[in-house]
Amino acid sequence: MFISRRSASQSSAFVFAAEVPSSRKTSFLAAAAVAALMAAVPATLAADMLDPAKPEDALLLNRKMTCSLEDGQTVIHWWRGSMLSRVPGERDRVLFNVQGMNIRQCGSFVDPKRGPGFRSVSREVMLYLDPQTNEVLRRWKNPWTGEEVEVIHVANDPVNMRAPTFAFGADGKPAVFRGSFVKGKAWTSGEAPLWYDNPLAGDYQSYVGNNYHAMEMLNSFTDAKALLNPAVRTLPSVSISWARVSDWIPWMKMGGRTGIIVFNTVGMRVASLEDLSEPLRSELKANYPAYLVPPPLDDSRPNETSWTYIKKVVDSRRAAKGD
Amino acid sequence: MRTLTTITAAALSLLVAGTASAAGTEQPLDPANADDQLRIQVKMSCSLVEGTPTLYWWSGRVWARVPGEPNRLLFNVHGMNMRQCRVKQDPVRGFCYRSVSREVMFYLDPVTNEVARRWKSPWSGEEVDVVHVANDPVNARDWYCSRDKDGKPVDRSDNLSFKDDLLLEGGGAARLFYKSPLAGEYQDYVGGTYHAMEFGTSAASAVEALDAGDSELQDTLISWVRISRWLPWMKMGDRDGLVVFHTAGMRLDSWEQLPEVVRREVDTRYPSYKAPPPLDDLRPNETSWTVFKKFIDERRAKESPSN
Repeated sequence: MFISRRSASQSSAFVFAAEVPSSRKTSFLAAAAVAALMAAVPATLAADMLDPAKPEDALLLNRKMTCSLEDGQTVIHWWRGSMLSRVPGERDRVLFNVQGMNIRQCGSFVDPKRGPGFRSVSREVMLYLDPQTNEVLRRWKNPWTGEEVEVIHVANDPVNMRAPTFAFGADGKPAVFRGSFVKGKAWTSGEAPLWYDNPLAGDYQSYVGNNYHAMEMLNSFTDAKALLNPAVRTLPSVSISWARVSDWIPWMKMGGRTGIIVFNTVGMRVASLEDLSEPLRSELKANYPAYLVPPPLDDSRPNETSWTYIKKVVDSRRAAKGD
Repeated sequence: MRTLTTITAAALSLLVAGTASAAGTEQPLDPANADDQLRIQVKMSCSLVEGTPTLYWWSGRVWARVPGEPNRLLFNVHGMNMRQCRVKQDPVRGFCYRSVSREVMFYLDPVTNEVARRWKSPWSGEEVDVVHVANDPVNARDWYCSRDKDGKPVDRSDNLSFKDDLLLEGGGAARLFYKSPLAGEYQDYVGGTYHAMEFGTSAASAVEALDAGDSELQDTLISWVRISRWLPWMKMGDRDGLVVFHTAGMRLDSWEQLPEVVRREVDTRYPSYKAPPPLDDLRPNETSWTVFKKFIDERRAKESPSN
């Protein structure tokens, strides 16, 4: 799940792939810059409303779509859906249902040259559920290899913006809000094509392959009036649609087999952890206590992704076995 | 290309329940009632008032995913679906509806945003004609009903969430895997099967969804994603790779609300798509693959009239 769309100088964070080298960003942002979005600005804009054409206001619009204008205000996103496989020559399979949540907060920054800014920090969990019973899966029998493996749920702490985003980039470029305003609604829509060194693969990936290869897709919808009204500090209603295409998840132990996985989810902002669906709410409380609150605003740890997380799990198991 | 109709069909959502409440009364619709759940579905997809034209629009981007290289942005897209529905109350099968629609989606140059006419494949180097999506019709093949043939309410509630002020729909996917109209008679043996996945999600006002006096959910927001093999007109043959569509959009009130590029292109080249097919349309569905087959067959006939 990405945290937000933002200016070229900024990092993005994703469910699985938070640590994206800045050089890999350019293709996403270049693509976003030419995106076929409808009217960039609503036809009529009241004088006291935020103006997407002003860099300082664009920053606030991006911040409202990401979190809250209030520093330290906890914002929770929840989503549910399914994960499918796509293997050439066979019908796609529904492997899991999923339920996920991201808990975040934002803090304000000011830079003498770049103006006002903000940074978000978050933690994120997504559970793989039995597609029939919706129970949290602990073990999974791989239908292609026949091997039973342990399910490693998504638990990424932290998923942060690596640096604040400001009204003006380091290169002086103004912040822009790439949103659509239609019939009183407002939304952002984008993709992050991810292509970088796989933390689980070797040192010669550009020669022998195995790069990390995924694309995240996110739409976020809200009410245009609430978004443009600077007095509304936290959007009261946001719905989201998140999708992802990637290679097999490492814990599936699919090795180099041909095939990809696809996530398809729908969700929204919710007011509190009590609003999360079951079994996510209970599982979170029982097994992920650190995820009940966002990280501190000054969190400077490197981001966790499913790939880096699984590397730690596998490495610690190997160490325990004396491998 | 089958889009909204497929998704809607895949996402029909019902709960087992007790007594039916009729639309048009002051009583709100009951999301736990099978008939009412299908009514909510119809309000989203089209209208409880039979024959009401329903216009959906979406826009987004098409990416290529090829193993071993970063994804490439190929096109921006704008699409629209013009639909209407029949509705009926069946003594056994409860509340039923059937939708009929026409659908276009245009590939736009990702830099200029102009409608693309020719495309140079960066992989093959060949320049080809762009064949836009123009599927007439995209119909539900049969009635969708709130109860099965024995009168038992159908539980398809998994894809619906009522939460706070929102109704969220989706989370499943249409898994399309069938005989490709462009491949031969031995696809089980040598491959070439049509293979695609489509999924849509929707968000609408929960209050409006449950209002029995409101026949349509006029402000429904949609997301639509599709993953498939190369489009036939790309002439990519057996090359490894997929195309991924990612779009967002919503239901519109009128033709004038469509982006200018869509209105211009439809007015000029696809005027029949400004209205849905007739309610009793029984023609077989068109997909991008069947449309392309006609296109290429006509071209071949012109090039070698003797064949």
